[in-house]
Amino acid sequence: MSSSTYRLDDLDRSIIEKLGRDARVSNRQIASELKVTEGTIRSRIKRLQAEQLIQFTVVTDFRVAGSPNLVMLGIQADPSRVGGLAKQLAEIPEINCVVVLLGRYSLLAMGLFTNIEQVNALIFQRIRSLEGVRDVITSVSVHNVKYEVGIARITGDKD
Amino acid sequence: MQIRSGKTLSPTALDALDNGIIELLRVNGRATNQEIAEKLSVTAATVSSRLRRLDELGASRVVAVTDFAAHGYNVLIAVGVKVAGREVQDVARDLARLPEVFSVNIMNGPKDIEMLVALHDYADINVFLLDHVAGIAGVDALDPGIAADIVKFEFNVAPL
Repeated sequence: MSSSTYRLDDLDRSIIEKLGRDARVSNRQIASELKVTEGTIRSRIKRLQAEQLIQFTVVTDFRVAGSPNLVMLGIQADPSRVGGLAKQLAEIPEINCVVVLLGRYSLLAMGLFTNIEQVNALIFQRIRSLEGVRDVITSVSVHNVKYEVGIARITGDKD
Repeated sequence: MQIRSGKTLSPTALDALDNGIIELLRVNGRATNQEIAEKLSVTAATVSSRLRRLDELGASRVVAVTDFAAHGYNVLIAVGVKVAGREVQDVARDLARLPEVFSVNIMNGPKDIEMLVALHDYADINVFLLDHVAGIAGVDALDPGIAADIVKFEFNVAPL
């Protein structure tokens, strides 16, 4: 797993902790609580964003999105094609998460769906047809017991 | 065919102004109410009250997402769990209490439960699976996979 080499100090951790509780809290308020200047807070947040250690996103509730179900796809593939397949899967907009896995499956892909035909069409027309895919094992979540929205892998190009 | 007819919040509960605010926050979640207000030609107080309402409805919220690395988590594992001799729901609830577990789903598929777990290093896998998870009553079989690379991780829909 690739990750930033930037080492967080206590101030970074305190800022992250405050933003984790309320992502909209102003720099001024964080600054006064941590007894540093507003400029320090601004530059620390900027650096954390540039290092891809934090990002701010709007999360929509399940209900507004039509109460979708999480679908997990375990994909067995030709080992020489796993890297390329991971990229191809990541390009599919309906798929939210792609992980290259050791053990279990070659790849694990996840998406949120409200409709079973949509899942079926995705698997048969766009995943099984990819070169190197040998098998797709589908599993549908019937109940989400826990999901922590505040922690993830921040991917994408660095600024 | 719907997979499930869960509670659905009508999208009509949100108007054009709500959606405009959400769109601007998607681009910059740290934009101040004043900056948002200027772009949408309304007052900062209006933006503030709309955001409070969206939060109260539980419709959408700006969240700070931190990378696994910011917490010192360098290992991610996806574990399938088979349950025997106990309600799946009860086992899932016990698993959800473990702090390293950040996602637990009850599944209809080859496994009864799927969970995603973030750990500090490889040495923690053994302790986590064999000491913490295997000790939970009803856990019958574990099928762990170690993430070698996380290529995409973009969930912007979640239970709020």
